[in-house]
Amino acid sequence: MIKRLAKYTLLILILGGIALAIYGWHLSVQVEKRFSTRRWSIPSTVYSDTTLLYPGQRMNSSLFSAKLSNLGYRRVNSVPSQKGEIRIRTQALDIFLNDLKTPWTERTGFLAQIDFSEDRIGTIRRKDNGETIPILELEPEEIMQFFGQERERRQLISIEQIPEHQIQAVLAAEDHRFFEHHGVDWRGILRAMMTNLRHGAVRQGGSTLTQQLAKNYFLTPERTFIRKLKELILAVIIEFRYGKREILEIYLNEIYLGQKGSVAINGIGEASYFYFGKPVKRLTLSEAATIAGLIKAPNNYSPYRHMARCQSRRDKVLQAMHRWEWITRTELEDALKQPINAVGFRAADKKAPYFIDYLTEQLNSLYRSEDLSSLGLSIYTTLDTQVQMAAEEALTKGLAGLESSNPELQRTAPEDKLQGAVVVMQPKTGHILALAGGRNYSVSQFNRITQARRQPGSAFKPIVYLSSLAQFTPTTLLSNDPKSYTVNGKQWDPQNFEPVTEYTVSLQDALKKSHNLATVDLAMKTGLDRVVDIAAKFHFSTPLKPYPSLALGAFEVIPLELARAYCVFAAEGVQPFPLSLKGVVDENDRILEHQHLNIERIIPPAEAFIMNSMLQGVVKEGTARSLQWRGVTWPVAGKTGTTNDFRDAWFVGYTPDILALVWVGFDNGDPIKATGAAAALPIWADLMNAIPQYRSETQFNIPRGVEKILVCPVTGRPAVDGCPEPVEVYFLTGHTPGGHCPLHAKDGIAGKIIKGVRGLINDD
Amino acid sequence: MTIKAMQIICLALLAALLVGCPKPPLEGYPSEAEETTTSTEAAEDNPRVAASLQLTDQGRRLVEDRRPDRAIRVLEQAVSLHPGNGQNYYYLSEAWLMKGFADQAKEFNQLAEIHLKDDSQWMIRVAEQADRIAELEK
Repeated sequence: MIKRLAKYTLLILILGGIALAIYGWHLSVQVEKRFSTRRWSIPSTVYSDTTLLYPGQRMNSSLFSAKLSNLGYRRVNSVPSQKGEIRIRTQALDIFLNDLKTPWTERTGFLAQIDFSEDRIGTIRRKDNGETIPILELEPEEIMQFFGQERERRQLISIEQIPEHQIQAVLAAEDHRFFEHHGVDWRGILRAMMTNLRHGAVRQGGSTLTQQLAKNYFLTPERTFIRKLKELILAVIIEFRYGKREILEIYLNEIYLGQKGSVAINGIGEASYFYFGKPVKRLTLSEAATIAGLIKAPNNYSPYRHMARCQSRRDKVLQAMHRWEWITRTELEDALKQPINAVGFRAADKKAPYFIDYLTEQLNSLYRSEDLSSLGLSIYTTLDTQVQMAAEEALTKGLAGLESSNPELQRTAPEDKLQGAVVVMQPKTGHILALAGGRNYSVSQFNRITQARRQPGSAFKPIVYLSSLAQFTPTTLLSNDPKSYTVNGKQWDPQNFEPVTEYTVSLQDALKKSHNLATVDLAMKTGLDRVVDIAAKFHFSTPLKPYPSLALGAFEVIPLELARAYCVFAAEGVQPFPLSLKGVVDENDRILEHQHLNIERIIPPAEAFIMNSMLQGVVKEGTARSLQWRGVTWPVAGKTGTTNDFRDAWFVGYTPDILALVWVGFDNGDPIKATGAAAALPIWADLMNAIPQYRSETQFNIPRGVEKILVCPVTGRPAVDGCPEPVEVYFLTGHTPGGHCPLHAKDGIAGKIIKGVRGLINDD
Repeated sequence: MTIKAMQIICLALLAALLVGCPKPPLEGYPSEAEETTTSTEAAEDNPRVAASLQLTDQGRRLVEDRRPDRAIRVLEQAVSLHPGNGQNYYYLSEAWLMKGFADQAKEFNQLAEIHLKDDSQWMIRVAEQADRIAELEK
C-alpha cells in the first residue's frame, strides 16, 4: 500500500515536474520574445523650428517670454547655475541655455547674457568669457507626441547614464537584496509575511524588482495565487536569462512614476525631467531618493500633489540608504535638509492643432500611424510658435471684435459661430510658419486653410492683371462702364462694389481700387483662356473655367493654394512648395527624411515686380490703405477680397520676408456683412504688429527688365512739364508708353482743345 | 655662395611664401575679403541682414567643405532672415549643383542673378555657375 502510494506520488511529481518544465519553457520563450523585440513603444515627437536671436532683432517680449516658458526655462532670482534657468533683470536676461541638438546643428548649453534696448536685442554675450555672439539659436520646442493607446512618455536611458546613488535609492526603496537573490527573495517574502501578520493587514510586499518587472511586462494586475506563481516562475526565468544590470536597466526604464495630465510618466529618464527638469545624471541625492520613493505609489507621493507625504517618503528612502551603508551620516543629514524643489509642469495643451493635422497628413504618406506612436522618431517642422501664438491671438481677437461690433454675426451654437483662418508663410522658402485653420479646434477640426474651398473674390484679381501684362501696361486705360455678358446663355451683369464716376480707369488704379467692371473688361481683352492658362501655372488644384466671372474670383480655391500663388509675387516669380516638415530623425539620430526648400519658376522676375509695385499701390492708396493707420508703415503689398453677398472676406499681404493670408466667413456661407478690408485686414495688421522680428522693412528688389518712368496721372503717358503731379510707374522693358503726354504738352493738339474747353468753362 | 646653396635658399624662400599664403578659395568662389565688402552697408542698417551674413558665411564654408546638405539648411535660414541677399542663392545653387540637382541649381542661380546684378564681380561668378549648370543638364 505504502509502496503503491509512494509510486503514485513519484509519478505525480514526475508528471508535475514535466508539466512545470514545459510551462517554464513556454514562459521562457515568451520572455525571450518580448525582451528580444522592441521593449517599449516610444511616441514620436514633433518639434517646432529653432529660434534665431541676434543683436538688433526686434522682440515681442510677451511672446518671447511665452516661448522661453514653453521651452521649459525656469525663472530664478540669482545668476542661473543650471541649464534651463533664466534670470530676468531690467533690460537684460541671463539664460543658462539648454543643449541644442537637431540633425543639422549641435551645441552644448552655456550661460549667456542678452541685453535689451527698448524693444530690441542689444547684445548677446557668453557670461563665462564675455565673448559676443552674433547669432544664437534656441532649441526647437516640443509641439506634440504621437501617442499609442498607452499614452506613455518615456525617455530611454542606459544603465551607464544612471548615477550610483539613483540605483542605490531605488534598491533601498524597493529591493535592497537585488544583487544577492535570484529573482525571488524568500527572506523578503518571509519578512513581509511576518510584518503583515503582525499588523493584520498588507503593510509590506515581498516582490523583488525582477518580480515587479515580470508583473508589469507579462501579467495582469489581479491578485490571485496562480498569477503570483506565474510571477515567481517568470522572475526566476528572467534572472536566469539576463544579467542583473540588464534587468535593472529594463526596470528603471519601465516603471510608472507619475501622471502629466492624461499621459503617464514612465521610467527614470522621463521622471527626472518631469519632476526636476534635468537629466538623471545630474540628480542630487535628495532628488534621486524622491524619485525612488515615488515607485511605491507615484500619485500618492507626488511632490505635485502631496508634498508632505513625498518628503516623508524621501526621508525613509534616505534613511534606508544610510542603513545599508550606501551613504554616510553627513550625506544623509545634508540630503534630509534639502527642500524638494519640483520644477512644475503644464499638462500638454494642444499646440497648433491644425498645423499638426496638416503635418500628419504628410507624415502618413511616409509612416504608418503605429510606427509614429512607437518608433520614437523626432519630427522637425517649420512652425514658429511665436508666429503661431500671434496668429491665433489675432484671429480670436479679430473675430470677437467683428461679433461685438455687429450683433447680427453672433451665433449661439459653437459650431455655427463666425469662422476665420490664417496661414503665415515665408514666400521664398515656402516654410509654413503658422497655420490656424479655424477659431476653435475643439469645436471644429475642419481645416479652413487646407481643406476649405471658397470663392476668393477680388483676391483672385492679381492673377487676371498678371495675365494681361504681355499685352497691357499699368497705365493702359480700361473701361469701367457697366456691360452685360452672356454666360451659358444667361445674362451676367457685373457691378462695381460701389458706384463710381470714373468710366475709364488705368489698369493699376483698377487693381488698386478693386474695380470689378474694369477687371472684367481687362480679362475679356486679355482672353479668358489666357487667364486660365496663367492660373494653371500657379498650381491651383480646383477647376477654373474661362467664364467672365473668373476675373472676379467666382471659382473656388483652397486658401493655402491662394497663399502659395501670392508667394510667386513676393519671391520674384518663383513658387515654393509649401513646407511644414523639415526632417525626421530616428531614435539613433539617423536622418530618415530631409526636406529642403523646393522652388519652381512661374513668371519672370520683372512681371513679379510689376505686380508687387501695383499691389503696393493697393496698400498705399487702394482698398487696403487702412493698414497704414493700423501701424503698418513699412513696405507691404497685398490685396483685399470680398465675395458676393459678403460671404467671404480676405486679405493677403506680404513683404519680401513674410506673407500671411487671412480669411473670415461662416462655414454655411451666411453673409458676414463686412469687406475684406474691414474683417480680414485688421487681423492681418494685428498679426504683423505682434511679430516685429519678421519685419526687415526692405523694399522689393528691382530686377532687370523693368523701367521706371514719370507719367502723367491723367493720360498715363510720359509726363511733360505741365502735367499735374506726375507719378513714377514701373513698366516692363519694351512695354513703356511712347511719346509724351498729349494733354499737357505745350503744342499738343489735344492739349490745345482741352485748354480751350477749360477756358470756355472758366469764362462762364 | 655655391649654386647649390642658392638653390636651397630659393627653395626655402618659396616654401616660406607658400606656407604663408592662405588657402586659396575654391575655384569660382569669392574670397572672404570680397564677401565682407558686399552688403556691409545694408548690414549696418539692418540687423536681419547682419545676422543673415553670419549664416551666409557659415553656408559658404560648408559648401567649400563639400557638405551640401548642412549648407542648404544653413543657407535656407539665411534666406529666411534676408531674402534679398543674392549670395545665399549663389551658394544654394552651388550646394544643389554639388548634389547633382540641376533644376534647383538653375532656379537659385537665376535668383542670385536677380539679386547680384549690380555687382559685376559676382555676376561673373553667377554666369560661370550658370555655365556649369548647363553642363550638368547636358
